[in-house]
Amino acid sequence: MRSLRRSFGGPMTAVILLLAGTWIFGLIAGPQLIMIEQSLWRMEQGEGGAEISARIDRLYNQIDILSFDKMDVEDKPASTERDATLAEFTGKIDALTVEIAVLEATETTPRKVYSIDNYRLMGSAHLAIFAKTVIASLGVTAIAFFVCYPMAYTVAKLAPPRRAALILLALTVPYAINELLRIFAWQMILNYNGLANAMLGVFGFEPVPFLESGTGVFVAMVYAYILFMVFPIYNTIETLDTNQIEAAKDLGAGTWSIHTKVVLPHARPGIAVGCIMTFMLSAGSYAVPYIMTRGTADPWFTQLIYNKFFESTNWNVGAAYAFSLLAVCVVFIFLMMKLLKVRLQDIAK
Amino acid sequence: MSAQAQVSIDRKSRLVLRIYMGIFFFYMFFPLVIMVAAGFNDYAQPSVTVWRGFTLKWFGELARDERMWSGLVNSLIIAVCVIAIALPQGLAGAFLVTRLQSRYTGVLYAIMVSPLLTPGIILGISTVIFWRNIGVSGGLFTAILAQSTFVASYAMLMFMARLQRQDMSLEEAALDLGATHAQAFHQITIPFLKPTIVTASVIAFLQSFENYNTTIFSIGGQHTLVTEIGSRMRFGLSPTINVIGILFILLTVFFATLYAVFRERERRREAQP
Repeated sequence: MRSLRRSFGGPMTAVILLLAGTWIFGLIAGPQLIMIEQSLWRMEQGEGGAEISARIDRLYNQIDILSFDKMDVEDKPASTERDATLAEFTGKIDALTVEIAVLEATETTPRKVYSIDNYRLMGSAHLAIFAKTVIASLGVTAIAFFVCYPMAYTVAKLAPPRRAALILLALTVPYAINELLRIFAWQMILNYNGLANAMLGVFGFEPVPFLESGTGVFVAMVYAYILFMVFPIYNTIETLDTNQIEAAKDLGAGTWSIHTKVVLPHARPGIAVGCIMTFMLSAGSYAVPYIMTRGTADPWFTQLIYNKFFESTNWNVGAAYAFSLLAVCVVFIFLMMKLLKVRLQDIAK
Repeated sequence: MSAQAQVSIDRKSRLVLRIYMGIFFFYMFFPLVIMVAAGFNDYAQPSVTVWRGFTLKWFGELARDERMWSGLVNSLIIAVCVIAIALPQGLAGAFLVTRLQSRYTGVLYAIMVSPLLTPGIILGISTVIFWRNIGVSGGLFTAILAQSTFVASYAMLMFMARLQRQDMSLEEAALDLGATHAQAFHQITIPFLKPTIVTASVIAFLQSFENYNTTIFSIGGQHTLVTEIGSRMRFGLSPTINVIGILFILLTVFFATLYAVFRERERRREAQP
């Protein structure tokens, strides 16, 4: 704190702390904590809520019957006996009304109950979709890595500088084009009457329902997020001293051992970043399943989250779903850091 | 760094790599070509399999689309507000991490980069939950805050990279010679950060403008240009979407080239002794 004050003085230090504080607490930590808190409770009807509702219904019925009886008495000629019966009925009805009011008061103030029921609900209803989303995202990540590593290595170490610059520019364009457009291009290709089925038709095949089967989601996802793997790996391989590769070669290392013993170990931070980004984007993608299935295939986990919030409006369960997704991503990050032995400081660059 | 010699390889491997690159670039660009082509097709649906001749009428159709224009206005409002919020926050965060000599710096840093490693939909939905508890429902306001959460992280990283190269002695000399803190900040730190402020603004603008995942979960009943495009794409009813695609691609190529030229010039300037 003293070092801050020395370079900025009191007032400016206060402004800096205020700005950073609103960001950290108001935008990052606050919302996340509230979301987690929300996922851990639900509004519960008081003790035996269903029985109370049933009792209230029964009491209303009794009042109805009493009112009918009372009407019968009202039709009789006036007498003291009639007045006494009427008063008796009114008294009974009033008593019942009071009882209902008491019961309704307990019924309409549900209590906030902390429990993990929201998660249990997810486990019983949508565990399969959750698992499918995670596995498919791992698949996308693996494919992206195996396709992109040779690419990154080629650009960083094999191409002449001028050509490398050109290739990078050419890669930047599809990388920077809006995600939605890249997805839509594949929707046009894999549509039931799209280009892929037209080609299949030329060879006499039946049209394949790519979108309806969920294949489209996977294909478009690989396409949409693959370039998030190229750039981080390229950046780390580029910092590797070429002499190290040449030296390994001179000492008789084959292509395989050059890569496993020299290039890959050096590229670890880049690989970690690429894998984390690709996995996170895939598991958390809403656009790809939204556009590529039109609601016909099994939902992606993110779509369930959307439905919980904006269609069935059960925010507590929705928060539990959202936190489960976040938890998977955090676990994946720690796994990658552990596996590749990199620190967070190496990752975010 | 880039002036390093390339690794030499034999001709056969070179050929294999060339083919690999060719396939990769075909894979990257072919879908985009298809999408562009359909924008010029005189057919009521986005398609290249049914070709009815060349037309520019979808451009006119797009220009008359009210909802797209209102979405564009919303996108611009959001982007400007996000820049105004996220840049100062990111800069403040960068000052904390670079100048605060404390053992909590690591934790601070981890928290500040965490939005980049969090799925966008989580940032969106948690912001909406947070503000609903105070009685504010989803709309442009929550979308601005949700986007600022991660845009500030980008800004923080960029400012941090710049601040780490700052020569502190200049600032200290100014203070020793009697400059006030405000003067030193205004005349030394700000001019030093100026290039980063410009690039960070551009990046923040693009990140905000192009964002879909965070926005769709935080914007409530409102829409931006990109969320509107998303909901139209789902059923792909009109080639106006392809026209938007063409415009986006043109802009992207323009900016990417500009960026590459800019970076090349920067690098040459740094290479000079």
